[in-house]
Amino acid sequence: MSKAAQTDQPRAAALYESAKKIYPREINGRFATLSKLATYALLGLFYAVPWLMWDGRQAFLFDLPARKFHLLGLTLWPQDFIYLAWLLMIAAFLLFFITALAGRLWCGFACPQTVWTEAFIWMEQLTEGTRSQRMKLDKAPWSLSKLRRKGSKQFLWIMFSLWTGFTFVGYFMPIRQLGVDILAINVGGWTLFWGLFYAFATYGNAGYMREQVCKYMCPYARFQSAMFDRDTLIISYDEGRGEPRGGRKRSVDRQKEGLGDCIDCTLCVQVCPTGIDIRDGLQYDCIACAACIDACDSVMDKMDYPRGLVRYTTEHAMEGKTSRILRPRMYVYAALLTVLMSALITSLVTRTPVILDVIRDRNTLYRELPGDVIENSYTVKIINQSNDARNFRLSVAGVPGLTLDGAAEVTVGGGDILSQPVRARTHRDNAYGIMNITFSVTATDDESVIVIEDSRFLGPTP
Amino acid sequence: MVSEEYRGARKWSRNKQAVATVIWISFLAASVATMLFFAVFDPTELIATLNVDIDIGVQTGYALGFFFFWIISAGCSAVTAWLVRTAPKRDTIHR
Repeated sequence: MSKAAQTDQPRAAALYESAKKIYPREINGRFATLSKLATYALLGLFYAVPWLMWDGRQAFLFDLPARKFHLLGLTLWPQDFIYLAWLLMIAAFLLFFITALAGRLWCGFACPQTVWTEAFIWMEQLTEGTRSQRMKLDKAPWSLSKLRRKGSKQFLWIMFSLWTGFTFVGYFMPIRQLGVDILAINVGGWTLFWGLFYAFATYGNAGYMREQVCKYMCPYARFQSAMFDRDTLIISYDEGRGEPRGGRKRSVDRQKEGLGDCIDCTLCVQVCPTGIDIRDGLQYDCIACAACIDACDSVMDKMDYPRGLVRYTTEHAMEGKTSRILRPRMYVYAALLTVLMSALITSLVTRTPVILDVIRDRNTLYRELPGDVIENSYTVKIINQSNDARNFRLSVAGVPGLTLDGAAEVTVGGGDILSQPVRARTHRDNAYGIMNITFSVTATDDESVIVIEDSRFLGPTP
Repeated sequence: MVSEEYRGARKWSRNKQAVATVIWISFLAASVATMLFFAVFDPTELIATLNVDIDIGVQTGYALGFFFFWIISAGCSAVTAWLVRTAPKRDTIHR
């Protein structure tokens, strides 16, 4: 990939010299439809999910002040941070897997940058018209109609951005209450700040920065080629078939004229959201949105030429070799993903929603009580990770005759931490030096919810 | 050849590229750092250990933490970018 881009440096440099704004041309076709569907689905999810309810509370809520994450029926605590890290790792490997298989599918169809830009361009088209109308409008002197068009575009953009910021904050605090608070003009300073921050980022990124983000700021765009091989799906112009390019009438016999299939209509360049010419070869500016495929196919249809002058293909296929989907790196990625995912699921399913922490009192080694009894003191911390209050039975084992003084059965509220001082006692004959013991806490309503924690019992050494 | 009218790639100046990249990458780094840090530490408990008599609240705690990490990482990125860009190009003479 990088090789192709390098060999095209002189032409690419010429391309950059013009510091013009990109006016992507509107396009219809198979991939444009797919892209629209992806935009609807992903944006729909983003805007709808905070409104979903589950058991009388928000289904997806990252409650930062209370330090717990609600995901449907599951509640995660800071102690469960490993799950989030694990999930991010799975996401990363999934991205590598898809990249190796189908190239920059993520960039073209699923990246928030692409998806929001798509939405913003749609609003631009709605208010300022088609590509040529937009270009004319930008060149035209200021007038009432220009002000009206530009103003309504800004209005739509800003409203949409503000709604996006509101939705974003709605993932971190109950969105319904947030809505009520906003209507009552009673929003906290930081809430307002983060809402506006996200709104501004959306407005800037999707309205103005657009493809520049992919070109200059995105790390993934730079390193994705490392996942590529000659069997990775790419969008490419069929040079052998297209060249020599040139304009012609529909009636002209191209073989007789010595022309290729490319009629040099430049539609593929006009529709490109990053402003490149796909015919220059594979370039890392290409986000694989497939708009040029749609554009070229529509032209090929009009010319009665076969489709696919610009198409999804692989480097091997372009060289006339067969491309393989199943290849070593695919097996490796798939195996890693399977292991990571099954580990996550297993650990989530078998997760015990209680944490036990035992701290031995460091001030005294042990105490001798009347009747030849040796006593050690501990502080027991029980964290109930379920959402409801629960009764727990505390017990201790490891030394003969060891008993607990202090509450043996405790109630811990849903999501609460209980800190309880307890004393363990046994007869002097059983206590000798440093002995390993275990504390265990069991939910009284479900014996399978049990956690065991190691500690020590100190006795006299003769 | 495509006429110039269609050639439309905007190019950011090198300074603009550098500023945008520094801000964005340090933002990502700060986000990760904030997540890791506050997964372990509760801002209210953290402030309690400082023995200062102020109650800034958990939201301000998170925000301060985030901006602290952002400023640190942005500063680091900026200095790195500046050093890389202003390094003496001795290598080209000997090549």
